[in-house]
Amino acid sequence: MKFFMNFPVTETSHTLVEYRTRLGYQALEKALRMTPTDVTKEVAAAGLLGHGGAAFPAGRKWGVVKLGDGEPHYVCMNADEGEPGTFKDRWLMECVPHMALEGLIIGSYALEGRHAFIYIRGEFDLAHRRMAEAIEEAYAAGLLGENILGTGYSLDVVLYRGAGSYVCGEASAMLASLEGKKGWPRNRPPRLTVKGLYQKPTVVNNVETLANVPVILRLGATEFRKVGTPKSPGTQMISISGHIAKPGVYEVEYGYSWTKFIYEDCGGMQNGKALKCIIPGGVSTKLLSASEIEGVTLDHNSAVAAGSQVGSGGMIAIAEGTCMVRLAAVIQRFYHHESCGQCTPCRQGMGWMERILNRIVAGGGRPEDIDQLYKISEANDGTTICSLGDSAGYACSAILDHYREEFEYYITNGRSMYDGNLTVDDPFATSPFATSPFANALVGAAS
Amino acid sequence: MSDAVMPAAKKMLDFAIDGVPMQAVDGQTVIQAARANGVEIPHFCWHPQLSVPGNCRICMVEIEQDSGDPWFDIACNMPVTAGMRVLTKSEKIKTLNQDTMQFITLNHPVDCGVCNKSGECLLQDYHYELNGAASKSRDPKTHATKFFPLSDRIMLDNERCIMCTLCVRFTNEVSGSKALGAVNRGDHALIRPAEDADFNLDVYSDNVIDLCPVGALLSTELMTHARVWYLQATKSVCPGCERGCSIDVWHRKHEWKLNALDPRLNTTIDRITPHENPEVNGLWVCNKARDLAQLFERPRAEQSLQRGAPVDLSAAIAAAAKLMAAAKKPVAIVSSWGSNEELAAFHAAFGTTVPGFVKADHLPLPGEVIEDHLLIKPDKNPNRKAALALYPALPERVSDALPADTDVVLVWGEGFDSALVPSGAKVIRLDSYAHAANSTADVFIPISVQTERNGHYTNFKGVVTPFEACFPVKPSIVHAEALFTALAAGTPV
Repeated sequence: MKFFMNFPVTETSHTLVEYRTRLGYQALEKALRMTPTDVTKEVAAAGLLGHGGAAFPAGRKWGVVKLGDGEPHYVCMNADEGEPGTFKDRWLMECVPHMALEGLIIGSYALEGRHAFIYIRGEFDLAHRRMAEAIEEAYAAGLLGENILGTGYSLDVVLYRGAGSYVCGEASAMLASLEGKKGWPRNRPPRLTVKGLYQKPTVVNNVETLANVPVILRLGATEFRKVGTPKSPGTQMISISGHIAKPGVYEVEYGYSWTKFIYEDCGGMQNGKALKCIIPGGVSTKLLSASEIEGVTLDHNSAVAAGSQVGSGGMIAIAEGTCMVRLAAVIQRFYHHESCGQCTPCRQGMGWMERILNRIVAGGGRPEDIDQLYKISEANDGTTICSLGDSAGYACSAILDHYREEFEYYITNGRSMYDGNLTVDDPFATSPFATSPFANALVGAAS
Repeated sequence: MSDAVMPAAKKMLDFAIDGVPMQAVDGQTVIQAARANGVEIPHFCWHPQLSVPGNCRICMVEIEQDSGDPWFDIACNMPVTAGMRVLTKSEKIKTLNQDTMQFITLNHPVDCGVCNKSGECLLQDYHYELNGAASKSRDPKTHATKFFPLSDRIMLDNERCIMCTLCVRFTNEVSGSKALGAVNRGDHALIRPAEDADFNLDVYSDNVIDLCPVGALLSTELMTHARVWYLQATKSVCPGCERGCSIDVWHRKHEWKLNALDPRLNTTIDRITPHENPEVNGLWVCNKARDLAQLFERPRAEQSLQRGAPVDLSAAIAAAAKLMAAAKKPVAIVSSWGSNEELAAFHAAFGTTVPGFVKADHLPLPGEVIEDHLLIKPDKNPNRKAALALYPALPERVSDALPADTDVVLVWGEGFDSALVPSGAKVIRLDSYAHAANSTADVFIPISVQTERNGHYTNFKGVVTPFEACFPVKPSIVHAEALFTALAAGTPV
């Protein structure tokens, strides 16, 4: 069952005309005939989980906002998809922008919002243009603006282009950025549904989450629940990349076999190599080795039981022969670059971890570095304002848990176990620098 | 008072910190409630009058729960709930504090020996208290700009900055200049002036020096002038305007007096900081208060004069007393910089016999902020309210106060032009500073300044605040309070 990828992508498939041929905006018409509370109840009954990574129930999030309290309510579409390996929201915005927009309008109606916001990643050029066109078309067709479809409900949508900071995808940082401030996350409490954008109740939903809303309204919660698993209803867009034979964006029903997805749908690994591990839902989720995904299904409960998460659906397949030390260094370079610099553990910890990993990669690793990396990860766990610090820690400690021997080898030998011939004709074995206390560093630098 | 106008009683919550039962006002955060109960939770970025960003993470506390694992959060952002059991010294919290200190000191230079904040640095204090361990990092520290002038008055050392953002929040939330912000990300983040603002124009800018918990923001003047352990603070009042902000005047400690250098260095004001006074100035003072040294350390008048000729102090007092005793139509021009005690002494001495008029000793200087939203008031004299309670203000047309038959004019303090004195009238001047008018007076007697005497000022709201002497008065200078009695009685001081 496909909700999103059930049409051929053509040059015009993203337009309002073609979206309407695929029953577009029927859900909106239906929703506007319901009371806002009933719309929320329908979404809650469908069991829709957030598709941004945390998988928080969307209906429950909507239900927290008190209607009729005299406050403006805002719905914000989080289109700042910045998780490494994740690009499924981009596909949705490029190919079915109206679907997410329809979900946003329905969500705003359910929450009695007069203004809604789309915070889109600055680098997404085509997605931005498609979303802007979709908004323009919706205004022209009376689907946005004053008196939508003659029902008396009015809504304006602001399309805001982010400046390319990973942490602005974090809901509270996104709202700070929308307010014109530095994109720094806020402490909770208060929750954003109590004091969000401009200190007013705000719901932040991922693009795919909102794109699911028209499906739920059109099919009804009961039909929606027939897809997926009881605890993870519906489908999940997965963007898979790495050493996979057929990288790209896929839509799978929750509960789908993981191994089937990788070895059949995605064609297995490139060049017939063996799968070493999977980073399941963006680099912030803990990796799972090839053996660990056997028998696991693509849904939240199964992934958690296996020790990881579905996350943002940004899956990275890693083939045998990949140096995990260097992979850890690359991942950590990203976190260091993207740490916003607000809170102490993340601001200092990210750079510290990267420096240690870089030093190991350069051949200057010390045996105590592994414990120190664990220690920094642990010190970031639950102590930072947002989850960037936690995520970096999880990413690093999961790699260490699984591939500690690679780190130990690298530190002992000053090079990766996947680099060249290390036992025969080692050019550095007879080097005059071999006995130098800096030998490791020299070897690393040369290699 | 009827029930209708009675303020609603604040709900009190029972909770405990480290096993000690306490009460908190509903809505207080853990750090606020702890403080109210005398428990200090470490903090860098939290400030009672600024917003709560929760940046530093040193105030992490543990919450015990009957069921389930304990949980951890920052005390500065966590509201107290009824029955909450807070632990501030558990093993987990000790570990978290040590970890945080490791992070904070990771790239912080170990330059306490040359840092002007040394002795007052929270980072230094917490390192001893919470961590005390050597750095676990074996990698070089990252370097940043060592001397970045944020304004003409304030130097930023980026390497010492721990990004608590107190300075940024102060300019956004208190002074309103919005002159500072944070640029870059991660451990490259820096405090920088906003592109469309000038920190020089923020008349409260120096407060960020006090706010900075480490040695990142330093006074360009003090950083080359003194170290904190040589100094002591004397409680005083800023005379810069009728607000009368409570301040601390910092000067060299007695045991650190300089013998070999210029002895005048022992009686200089090294810095001024606000002294918390919720009724008057809260926690802040403006930059004019910080610059009191320039005001007080102008060239002093230290020699008594009789028609421009130096005379002995007692001779000058005797001559002035003689003039006052012989005067038939004397008039006094009363200082609005005199203390309550001096004004009372003056009134006791001359109240019924000498008509007095209160003058403004100081007017706003060119370019000075006249009045603002926070502290600065338009009247630039600290005790005009108390003076006006005793005497009327000097009229705009001075001749209304000084008729042509005035025979003696007693001028107390600065800000009065001798040319306004009717011809033929004798002039007695009492002043602390060197002015050309001193030598044209019939008698000039040098009097002490605020930093040389004790007293009280009454501010525009009627709040009375004391000030204390920091420096000794020279033998050739007299306290006005004693002088008035002597002048009236014709006796020596």
